[in-house]
Amino acid sequence: MSENTVIINGQKVNFNPGDTILNIADHLGVKIPTLCHDPRLKPAGACRTCLVEIKNRPKLAPACATELSAGMEIVTDSERVNRHVQTLLALYLTDHETSGSSNDFDRNGNELLALAKQYEAPLHWPSMENIRQGRPMDVNPYVAFQPEKCISCARCTRYCEEVESVSAITMAERGSRTTVFTADGRSLMDTTCELCGGCIDTCPTGAMTEKKPLSMTIPANNELEKVRTTCNYCGVGCQMDLNVDPKGNNGRGKVVKVTSPPPGTTTNDGNLCVKGRFAYDFIDHNERLTVPLVRGTDGKLQEASWEEAYRRAAEGLIKVATDHGNDALGFVSSSRCTMEENYLMQKFSRAVFHTNNIHQCAAT
Amino acid sequence: MNHPQKRASVPDQLQEHGGLSKGTSASVHRATGIPEADIYGVGSFFHLLAEPDIKVRVCQGLACKMAGSDEVQAEAEAAGFPVKPCSCLAACDQAPAVLKDRRVIYGVTSEDIKRCQGDWTQLTDAAGASHGIVPGFVGPEGSNPDLRAIDLHGTIELSGVAYSKAIQLGAEKVISEIDASGLQGRGGAGFPAAFKWNSVRNQPDPVKYVVLNADEGEPGTFKDREVLLRRPDKILEGLAIAAWAVGATDVYCYLRGEFEAPWQVLHQAIQEAESSGVFEGIRFHMHAGQGAYICGEETALLEALEGKRGLPRLKPPFPTEKGLWNKPTLIHNVETIACVPSIIEKGGDWFKQLGKSGAGSKLYCVSGHVKNPGTYELPLGVTLDELVEEAGGYIGTLKAFSPGGASSGFLPAEERRRALDFKSLAEVGSMLGSAGVTVLNDSINMAWAAQAQLIFYEAESCGQCAPCRIGTRFLRENMTKHLNQMKSGNATPINHLEHVADAAWEMNEGSICGLGQIAALPLTSAIKYFPEDFQQTRTPNS
Repeated sequence: MSENTVIINGQKVNFNPGDTILNIADHLGVKIPTLCHDPRLKPAGACRTCLVEIKNRPKLAPACATELSAGMEIVTDSERVNRHVQTLLALYLTDHETSGSSNDFDRNGNELLALAKQYEAPLHWPSMENIRQGRPMDVNPYVAFQPEKCISCARCTRYCEEVESVSAITMAERGSRTTVFTADGRSLMDTTCELCGGCIDTCPTGAMTEKKPLSMTIPANNELEKVRTTCNYCGVGCQMDLNVDPKGNNGRGKVVKVTSPPPGTTTNDGNLCVKGRFAYDFIDHNERLTVPLVRGTDGKLQEASWEEAYRRAAEGLIKVATDHGNDALGFVSSSRCTMEENYLMQKFSRAVFHTNNIHQCAAT
Repeated sequence: MNHPQKRASVPDQLQEHGGLSKGTSASVHRATGIPEADIYGVGSFFHLLAEPDIKVRVCQGLACKMAGSDEVQAEAEAAGFPVKPCSCLAACDQAPAVLKDRRVIYGVTSEDIKRCQGDWTQLTDAAGASHGIVPGFVGPEGSNPDLRAIDLHGTIELSGVAYSKAIQLGAEKVISEIDASGLQGRGGAGFPAAFKWNSVRNQPDPVKYVVLNADEGEPGTFKDREVLLRRPDKILEGLAIAAWAVGATDVYCYLRGEFEAPWQVLHQAIQEAESSGVFEGIRFHMHAGQGAYICGEETALLEALEGKRGLPRLKPPFPTEKGLWNKPTLIHNVETIACVPSIIEKGGDWFKQLGKSGAGSKLYCVSGHVKNPGTYELPLGVTLDELVEEAGGYIGTLKAFSPGGASSGFLPAEERRRALDFKSLAEVGSMLGSAGVTVLNDSINMAWAAQAQLIFYEAESCGQCAPCRIGTRFLRENMTKHLNQMKSGNATPINHLEHVADAAWEMNEGSICGLGQIAALPLTSAIKYFPEDFQQTRTPNS
């Protein structure tokens, strides 16, 4: 066998040093179930759903955390592995809120329930009451934690530490009481939390979730339309998905939450900040400007066409330049502008009005 | 302090603050720069830190329960003590044991509680020994260093004879003597010691560590406590030899937080060794556990030493390759390391022939229904009958025994003539483990006994991996329902044990560490050997 070859389910494949079993399986299209895995995080190997058989090793090994070595023979679909996945999922379900029939299991993006359905896990094991402590008094406006849905996979706490370097939340207590907590159980507002909502994004079961939609009646996740757009709060250009209830706003559609595209698919790698993820209320705000306004001779703002608005702005700029000279003008570009927009702004300043009075508000 | 040392100091600092209460994680954060939530996570993991208001803890281990600890707990509650039940205190030979602050008090009765008149600070055992260092009973009588590698009746002697001889022999010869001795780890796993020494020694990293695992807490086990109390010299000399042989200069001793008395003895021995300079060049550091059985698992112990939550690591890599602070680390149980000086002094062959069916002499802990519970250093491979004969005989008629701590499950009386060694016990799906032998007579219902062990594993699961976190609770909850049904004599019983076999299979296959892998064994072995004790018509003990 050559140095960089392994056998997975009988198929011989090459690998690169550092590749894990899960990497190579993904590459080959071999499905291995995971719950605690997020490509942005160091492998934890803790949820145990991804265990596979490796020849000559007595114990099953976590695919996410096991690096390939030459000659390894891996089996992902043996009777033993299948029994393991089904039994493990049955155990998970005894400690998890499973309201609704199994037909509903994949409707709300709960990865545990979707796996239970997909792998036909036994559903009749007696269930147990939730004993994980929550923080119901947390007054933060955006992030809710529902302990009855938590599977203690620690994706949220690892994300908070490894990706955001914030460590506002921690795994606390131990054993079956293990929960997600803050120091002294304080509100996220009184911690280092930046309310980026990355914990929500990485949570596989919806235990970490957006607070606002909880108080609204909105359709199941798989009935929401996702509209990919670019966040316009700053120039980074994060991609985000507006989750639109198509029946909302009398059929015009209503944005009910914002989610980030899956990690690895866009430049923001599944991350968003507090503004991108949560500050979308302006969309339906009654003070939002939806048409240009220009001031009439009476000094009051009146609706106008874009052509009219541009003409008035141009007239004003030319008048200042003519009366007082080009350097009487100064241009300040917004930090919400993209690189390209900033470029155009300085071109406008220098080439059209021949002044170097150009600034960008994020430059200081 | 550098960053890793600051991190490592977190549990100590929380202890100095009197445990985890409002604001303490913020204080420790200011002192260390470690994120506040992270510190809270550590404090809430360890029972001695997480519940600062609890001053008295009553052991609910099987041996203590058999000796009436449930009544002691009830009496303490009635007396208004700040009390909670706790997991095994490594005092099964002097049951029921009670922890007062961090001091274990032996043989506490309901009368002792009553005598306090509601003031927990007055709590003492019958002998009034709330302070001072009280070793347990050890046998056989008298000192005999020719037949016993540790020789618990011997006198403390920090002369460094074996250490000097080791230096004379050279590291390779030292390790080959360990190899020849056949010494296997005495903490539970029985791994060949020489293999670990060699792999640490052969790592290219110039920085290596030696760690002493004195986090003894396996129900039925208390031998390490006796070695710490009686022969700290053997421990320190063994550690010094190991450190020198593998190329380490720093030795970390991790003692469970409840071992206040053993800590004092070891601490004094370290001070003596340092002032005499007998182990020059070796630095000893002491670290207190904070109440977590799981930290006896070697990688969880390393996490705790580093000041983190005690979650076992994924293996491989093994500690011999990446251990403490990612450096090659040799970790040994107290008893294992205490065997080393005699092996070096008298030779590997001498040690090997001390045993019957395995190598060496072995410390067996005997508790439960025997006349003289205690720690007995006997040839490895004695039978239960031979062991109990040393311990003064059985009380009542033998029904079952646990040969190697709770984790070895239960065996029926028919196995009383089986050699208590690594191999023979593995053949019947059990193990020598820590050689904590708990003897049960026919007054005990095995469903009740199994439940005592399930309570322990549920309380001590670290919660990291799902099979163990959920499985231990699932088994205990369903056994509670089953026992309640047995008591109430339900006419149309529900089968609460329907999923036990599947759950046990998954816990063994899917758990990260040994705790989850064997946590179902006490129940499945009890069902296997004593099915009649689970029938509706039987009455569980309480």
